[in-house]
Amino acid sequence: MTPAPRDRILDATLTCVARVGLGKTTLDDVAREAGLARATLYRYFPGKQPLISALVAREAARLGADLLEATAACRTLEDAVVELVTTAVASLEAHAALQYVLLVEPEVLLPYLAFRRADDFLREASALVAPALEAFLPSDRVARAAEWLVRVVQSYACSPTAEVDLNDPVSVRVLVTEFVLPGLVPSNMLGVTS
Amino acid sequence: MTSADPLSLRDRVLGAAYTCVTRYGLVKTTIEDVVKESGVSRASIYRQFPGGRDELLHATVAWELARYFTELADAVRDAPDLAHLLEDGLVFARRSVREHEVLQKILETEPERLLLLLTTEAAKTLPFIAAFLHPYLDREAEAGRLRPGVDPDHAADYLARGILSLIGEAGRWDFAEPSQVREVVREELLGGIIAS
Repeated sequence: MTPAPRDRILDATLTCVARVGLGKTTLDDVAREAGLARATLYRYFPGKQPLISALVAREAARLGADLLEATAACRTLEDAVVELVTTAVASLEAHAALQYVLLVEPEVLLPYLAFRRADDFLREASALVAPALEAFLPSDRVARAAEWLVRVVQSYACSPTAEVDLNDPVSVRVLVTEFVLPGLVPSNMLGVTS
Repeated sequence: MTSADPLSLRDRVLGAAYTCVTRYGLVKTTIEDVVKESGVSRASIYRQFPGGRDELLHATVAWELARYFTELADAVRDAPDLAHLLEDGLVFARRSVREHEVLQKILETEPERLLLLLTTEAAKTLPFIAAFLHPYLDREAEAGRLRPGVDPDHAADYLARGILSLIGEAGRWDFAEPSQVREVVREELLGGIIAS
């Protein structure tokens, strides 16, 4: 079964962005890659902006679903946070289109990572992470913990250090148990979640 | 003091470049502008900054960042303990980021360019903040207030990251509200570092 046109178009866009970047990808490229007529593509996405917005939304939703799935089998908050961090990092690193943009045209993404629009980024990324924490934290701590985790991952991803390897579950667990977890839940609550 | 002193010459050029950036922005500032503003010759500027305009602009952003964090350090130096130091520092830093006219102006007009420069320079800011925090962590350790097993080096790096993130984006926190500042400092930042 071939995917619905909308998904086919978004898949084609991913392929194009991974190949030539966000700036150089044109609607013609996408139509050709998807094997659809330009007019058909326009019926689904009337321009590059709505196309890219839809792509970002879909990829974000996929990541959110991956995170939820990755933590589903976890028994403790500690395990869930380690799974969250390693799964998020692995997904982002395996994302060819994202990696192309980060490497070749970072100026497209940077405004989302610092200052003004960074608050939007933080809010949206936290909202993506939060559902995966719901089973492990009191409801009033979930959004707050999600935001802190996004900050931590963003910092180590943007400014790596030899001490912490976000790809290594053992290294992540040390960071999480030593510094992150005690900041997410008051100490008297640690260990009582299951 | 002579104008041949390489340190003061460098500072003069950087100060002039900073003035030019405030006036013309990052894109439009040229070496010629800096020559005029500093009274330092083109040849001397290239001796200091062999990479030319790009290197000079990088150095100018780094210079202003260093000035900003030195001011921040001066503002909080006398805090009685680490928790108060972080609370005072965050409040001061958030306010001065918002009030930094040049930063705001450049963010308005040429955000991509500034952010590229800031990202490369932020890597150098982390060790600066960590080094500043280290003696305060040592003092907490001497007072027996660190959680068992906490390595002050690692703790300084973790705190520096949290602080830089909070300075960049307030997120859910309102830094005009002392109870919130207290909360993020004592829980998120220090929860794993200071024994409760």
